[in-house]
Amino acid sequence: MRNYLKLLHMEIHRFRYILFALMGMTALVQMCAIAFNAMGEINERNVYFEQTGRAPEEFFAAMSYTRAVQETQFWFAVPVGLSIAVLVIYAFLIWYRDWFGRSTFAYRLLSLPSERRNIYFAKLTAILTFVFVLIGFQLLLMPIGRAIFAMIAPAHQLQPSYIADAIFANQAFKILLPRSFAEFFVNYGLGVISLLVLFASILLERSYRWLGIVYGLAYAGFCALLMVYPMLALGLDYSTGYFYTEEAYAIQMAIDALIVVSSVWLGLYLLKKKVSV
Amino acid sequence: MIELKGVRKRYRGRYVLNGLSFTADKGNITCLIGMNGAGKSTVMKAIMGLVPVKEGQILVDGKPRGRWIYEKISFVPDHLTMPLSMKMSEGLTFMADFYASWNAERAAELMRFFRLEPSEKIGNLSKGTAAKYNLVLGLAPNSDYVLMDEPFSGIDLFSREMIADVFSSELIEERGVLLTTHEIGEVEHLIDKAVILQDGKAEMEFDCETMRSEEGKSIVDVMREVYSR
Repeated sequence: MRNYLKLLHMEIHRFRYILFALMGMTALVQMCAIAFNAMGEINERNVYFEQTGRAPEEFFAAMSYTRAVQETQFWFAVPVGLSIAVLVIYAFLIWYRDWFGRSTFAYRLLSLPSERRNIYFAKLTAILTFVFVLIGFQLLLMPIGRAIFAMIAPAHQLQPSYIADAIFANQAFKILLPRSFAEFFVNYGLGVISLLVLFASILLERSYRWLGIVYGLAYAGFCALLMVYPMLALGLDYSTGYFYTEEAYAIQMAIDALIVVSSVWLGLYLLKKKVSV
Repeated sequence: MIELKGVRKRYRGRYVLNGLSFTADKGNITCLIGMNGAGKSTVMKAIMGLVPVKEGQILVDGKPRGRWIYEKISFVPDHLTMPLSMKMSEGLTFMADFYASWNAERAAELMRFFRLEPSEKIGNLSKGTAAKYNLVLGLAPNSDYVLMDEPFSGIDLFSREMIADVFSSELIEERGVLLTTHEIGEVEHLIDKAVILQDGKAEMEFDCETMRSEEGKSIVDVMREVYSR
């Protein structure tokens, strides 16, 4: 356990600058988007007042942070999408950076006098940590954005907004920050399963090289097929399916559990017995 | 004793190691000799469990390998094995964190001997300095065996002299060393035993001192004979 935590700390430490850069970029883009949106709306109201001499409140609805988030959702989604892309790429790099380049850290990692599974779980939890740090930071940014919006908007024209409503106003957040635990479980469960399948495929490639690419792609394809099969064949998302919804869900869960167990087992087996530098 | 028995390893469709057997004893410097691609580095990696072998046995002190060997055997590859973003001191801390056999005092002594600056980034090291740092990482633990893969490759004269000095020091005396090098002439006087690899097998395994005194042949002479057959 101690060695696992040390390895996890090292993995997080190695990614820290990229993580900070992603957090900085997210904060900058989203807060600027909110500020520009608020200033643009105030400007519109001022123009209306100058042209008509009438109070903008008569014509415009009160300024709302929720609406601002909805109107700027593209700019909210850009850093989120970029962060996801970086993390997907890093899910590959977290392995390959240790094998390639001037320094091959894989030699050292695989020669540690501790269980090799610690390497696997440290890399896995490092990626999950990055995901949840970014999600947590996004949640933190929402009230900060509201405070910035409230500072710019005139108090008498400001309509109070709930953070939950603001989150729901953005299409990307509906997936990343779902309202129900069941949705959270499904969305992040699928993410974790994909990561486990990717790790198993990478380790197949690292074990069997060129042939391993074929094995890896075949394994990933097989798992993907297995995951979508219940939806296509068992009518999971159709009320007219052969199985009751609960039964179809149970089958889906069993298949997902099977993929999790087989991917972790395969990854650990390859790391212990087959992987080479 | 490190013992290989009939080890076979396939790489890119051919057997790089094809029934290789030899021993490397504690207290001796054993040199693996072979042409390029003879499988010298593969032998080292196979002993360390860094490549799986298809057949055969690798025993350390009579026992099959397990993760316990990493406390007993240090490996000094011919390139860096620590993240380039780390400082040398951080690399030493990493080793101290994971290896019970790590000897921090000896590490500090070696750093001084090689005149290495702990605050320097590993990514900034020249080839020669990287080789010295690799030696620090390999020799600082209280391990019984040290495997060294081409410790002199691409290194300037003065650095070579420093590394050669290590071979005749007490840092090596008690341990078993398995070495691969192309610079035989430079270390011939230090080597106790030579193993000549050809076609994935140990073509010849001999005691260098006996060969010199009884047959009047140097390692290079024996190599010439073997490879001209």
